[in-house]
Amino acid sequence: MSKLNATDIQGFVLRGYNLPLARYLFLHFEDACRARALIGRLLGEVTTGQRWDGGKPDSTVNIAFTHKGLVALELPLATLLTFPVEFQEGMKKRAGILGDTELNGPERWDELWREDRVHAWLGVNANCPEALESRCAQMLALMQETGGAVLVGSQDAAAVVIDGKPTTGEHFGYTDGFGNPEYLGVERKSQPGQGKLMPDGTWAPLATGELLLGYADEAGELPVAPVPHILASNGTFMVYRKLHQNVASFRAFLDTQGALYGGGREKLAAKFIGRWRDGTPLELSPDEPDFPLTQDPKRSTNFTYGKDPEGVKCPLGAHIRRVHPRDAFGFNGRLIDRRRITRRGLPYGRFVPEGEPVSDAEDRGVIFMALNASISRQFEFVQQQWIGYGNDARLGNDKDLLIGNHCGRGKFVVQGDTTKENPPFICSNMPNFVELRGGEYFFLPSITALGMIAMSLVDPR
Amino acid sequence: MPNKNGNVYGLTLLSPIIDDEKATPSHDLQIRKYLATLPTGEGSPFALAPGTHLARLVVMDDVIYVGMPACEEHLKSKYLVLESNFDGELDQYLNGLAEHVPEHLDAIWGHCFGYPGVANRKAFVEYMRACQLETTFFFAAVNDQSVPQTLRALHTRRAVADFIACHQGMEPAQLQAEFMQFVKELGSEPIPRPGSIGVVRNTKTGGRDE
Repeated sequence: MSKLNATDIQGFVLRGYNLPLARYLFLHFEDACRARALIGRLLGEVTTGQRWDGGKPDSTVNIAFTHKGLVALELPLATLLTFPVEFQEGMKKRAGILGDTELNGPERWDELWREDRVHAWLGVNANCPEALESRCAQMLALMQETGGAVLVGSQDAAAVVIDGKPTTGEHFGYTDGFGNPEYLGVERKSQPGQGKLMPDGTWAPLATGELLLGYADEAGELPVAPVPHILASNGTFMVYRKLHQNVASFRAFLDTQGALYGGGREKLAAKFIGRWRDGTPLELSPDEPDFPLTQDPKRSTNFTYGKDPEGVKCPLGAHIRRVHPRDAFGFNGRLIDRRRITRRGLPYGRFVPEGEPVSDAEDRGVIFMALNASISRQFEFVQQQWIGYGNDARLGNDKDLLIGNHCGRGKFVVQGDTTKENPPFICSNMPNFVELRGGEYFFLPSITALGMIAMSLVDPR
Repeated sequence: MPNKNGNVYGLTLLSPIIDDEKATPSHDLQIRKYLATLPTGEGSPFALAPGTHLARLVVMDDVIYVGMPACEEHLKSKYLVLESNFDGELDQYLNGLAEHVPEHLDAIWGHCFGYPGVANRKAFVEYMRACQLETTFFFAAVNDQSVPQTLRALHTRRAVADFIACHQGMEPAQLQAEFMQFVKELGSEPIPRPGSIGVVRNTKTGGRDE
């Protein structure tokens, strides 16, 4: 595997920008010819995966399309038909498979997502409000000048600011943004615990084809991808979900359950996730947070569950154990290597510190964006089996505590031992702490593919 | 020993479907139609008759020719395939099916060559046995527990979890008293009916779009 061509891959795919502000613009194409002209103009704007040797830019731009968007761009039918079924259908139609029903059902989504008008996602990240506003204004000017697209919606997102500094925190009060997988060929500082587990206990990067189309995946196969190959290669699929957080419900639940739990409120909060609020993994430090550990990349994600099969340290249903089970299912973790996703995204809405009045009705949550080569094999599997169901984790019908669609019927078991500080505990009648407000599946093409789309050169023959 | 793994029996039956040019629609289509409307859950014939962990009925038309360089081959007949994992021995299982869901058996296997009907119980069991293929390797994720044991265990698991959830933090003496009462009541509760356990999930698995 040689080094990837970072100039051909959108930067959003290869790295988390770590810029504190973002605005996601949602575009609708009215005329294929003008839309292609717009994409042609945007080509020079799109941020690639090239290294930032000259320093971080003030802002970035990336673009992705829904299947309806590609139809509106008049890609050849023979190409449109070769996209994976789940992408062609879109996220709304996959509600049954994803368990997006009742409180999370499409009929309750924001208007933008109930309609089928979103053709493209234009993601702008920036390091300050001025840079964000000017880059967005520039994008809107391009849209207007070319007549290529109308804006049908936009979503602001921003890192949670605590004591005047942007952080990796989220609204429930946890430090987020540890673990993302490593992939072969992607230039990045290596961190143990972030790729795949090898038989000798070390960690190695995942096959490139788990992230990018056109490369071998963990099974040695090429991911299902549209034709022609050059349209797909160096591209990927993105899942966009707007997840509203019921912070008041979460804190109230933690208050009442924490009062009953022998280990105390903060320990229960850690048991929910598998990390203490500051990010310390329970598996490495079950009794108390250890902040220096979270700051050490050699340790912060470097753990397995093999020696904790009963969940005494980290509960079997803890969020991070469910969504990244590492070796929890045996076979040196090999059962999970084709179920990994790369997460991007930022919180939205005002952060309210603990102890201050807060309401579920206020608009706040997280914009969850996941990148993967196969939405059905990776994201949808994780959502259906590991979030919405408990069988793999030996938890019966239990769903993920944090983002499961409980509708008041949820249950969460905290395994424990015979000590007073770590007793077993059961939470029941859980409400939804998170509610889905909409989202869609997107195709994030390479720079070459964007050029082909812009010039109407996509040829499936 | 083939066909059995611990207390669980792995049954494979292949029954040839009648090939009658005069039949409209053909017998295999009639079976397919009947199977498509067969109830699942508590109303399933395999839930009404005792002993089944998991069962599957399939109409097998032919072997599929996949093109060169494979050689083209065909079955002599279309077959109805039954795969089932159940408790105990074969005769007892077949008799249980015959007793509890005779109308389903006749409606399905009535389209199979040589099927004598359930009314002649001895001939029925002999016919089914004649259709049996040896199951040399199978996997039933049932921990060697019987169907009633499994249903009881699932029920107990849920009841205990609910009990704990409602009694956490209670005074030890009262907790013990309530627990004794709970155990007493739990023991006298009926075993849930097959197909009745578990919440209804909207999740589809194994579909062609997944």
